[in-house]
Amino acid sequence: MNKFFFKKWSIFIFVPIIFLWHPNWLGFLGVQPYWPLFWLLPWSMINGSINGIIFGLFLGLILDSLTIDNNFTQIPGLILCGFLFGRIKLQSDILVEHFRYGLICCFGSFLCGMLYFLQILFKNFSDSFFLLFIPSFQNILAEVFLTGFFAPLICSQLLRMFRVSRKKV
Amino acid sequence: MLDIRRISTSRWWHKKKNWITFGFFLFLVFVRISKGSIYKDFYYFISKPFWPGQSQKEVILQSINQESLINLNLLKKDNNRLRQILSLQNISDNDKISAAVISRKTGSWWRQIILNKGSKDGVEIGSTVIGPGGLLGRVKNTSLFTSSVTLLTSPESKVGVWVDRIQINGLLVGIGDDYPSLILYSKDADIKVGDFVSSSPASTLLPPNIPIGVVQSVDDSLKANKKVKISLLAKPHVIDWVQILKVKI
Repeated sequence: MNKFFFKKWSIFIFVPIIFLWHPNWLGFLGVQPYWPLFWLLPWSMINGSINGIIFGLFLGLILDSLTIDNNFTQIPGLILCGFLFGRIKLQSDILVEHFRYGLICCFGSFLCGMLYFLQILFKNFSDSFFLLFIPSFQNILAEVFLTGFFAPLICSQLLRMFRVSRKKV
Repeated sequence: MLDIRRISTSRWWHKKKNWITFGFFLFLVFVRISKGSIYKDFYYFISKPFWPGQSQKEVILQSINQESLINLNLLKKDNNRLRQILSLQNISDNDKISAAVISRKTGSWWRQIILNKGSKDGVEIGSTVIGPGGLLGRVKNTSLFTSSVTLLTSPESKVGVWVDRIQINGLLVGIGDDYPSLILYSKDADIKVGDFVSSSPASTLLPPNIPIGVVQSVDDSLKANKKVKISLLAKPHVIDWVQILKVKI
C-alpha cells in the first residue's frame, strides 16, 4: 500500500524536476518532449477518466507554478488529455500497444500545444498576431515529434509499474 | 598463306607512356580552360607566409584594441561623472549581484531561466538581468533562494528599446523563438540590417543603454508599422553566469 502511494506521489516530484532540468541533449530545435503526458497516459488508462481529469488538473497546477507566464495555463490541455486517455482500452498485443502510445501521446501533445498557443494568440491578438504563427507551429510540431518518439519507451514501463503496484494493493 | 598481323603489344594504345602523355595533355587543356586557377591557388597557399605586412597588421590591431579599451574606460568614468552631476541613476559594482543559472528553459513556449539568488540576497521583482553580451530579461518572481527571469524571447516579454543610428524608440516583443521582433510604429523609419539596438532611455522598466542585439532582417510588408527581427547579443542558452542589477527605475 505504502509503496503504491509512494509511486503515485513520486510523479509529482519527478515531473517538475525533469521539467526544470530541461536536458538539452534530449531536445530537438531547443524543444523538449511534453513530459507530463508520459505519466498521464498510463495513469488514466488504468484508473479511468475521472482519475485522469484529477491527475491532469494536479499536474497542470504544478507545471503552471513552475512557469512564470501568469497569463497562460497548461491545465485545460492536461485535463482534456486525462479525460480522453481514460477512455482508451488496454490492448493485449504488446507491439500494437507500443505504437499506440506513440500516436496517442502525439495527439495529446498536439492538443495541449494548440490550447496553449490559442491562449497566447488570444492575449496578443492586437499587436503581434502574425509574428506568432511560424515559431509557434515549429514549437508544436517539434514537441509532437519528440513526445511521440519517447512515448512507447516510457509509457510502457510506467504502465507496467502502475499495474504491478495496483495488483499488489 | 602466313598471317602477317602485327604482334598485339606493338599497338600504340598498349603503351603506358602514351596514356601518361595523353593524360598530361588533358590536364594542360583543363589548366588552359580554367585560366591557370589551380596554379594561382597553389601559389596563394605557398606564398602566404611571405606576404608583406602580416606582423605589422597584428601589431596595429593590438594597438587599436588597447586604444579602444582605454577610451572605453575614460568614457565610462566620464559618463558616471556626468550622470552624478545630473543626479541620474548610476549603476556601481555594489548594485550588481552575480548569480548562476540553475535551470534553463530556452525552447518551446516557456522561455525562462532560474537563478541561484533570491529574495534572501536582495533580488527584487522587476530587476534587470544581464549576461555576457547584454540584456537577458527581467526578474519575474523570487523565492527565498531563487529568482525566475523572463527572457526577452518569451511571448510574455515586451520592453522598450532604442535604435541609436536612427534615434528612434521601438517595442521589443518576444514571439517564442530565438529572435524577438522589434515593432517600430513608423513606416518611414530607415532601419537597416546590422543596426545596433539597446535599452531605451525612455523605458520605465530597464536602465538605459544596455546592449540588446543587432537587426537581422527587416519586414516592410505591413502597412502601419515595421517589423524587425533582432539577433540577441547575449545568448541565454549558453550563458551560465549572469548579473542582476539591483537598481530599479
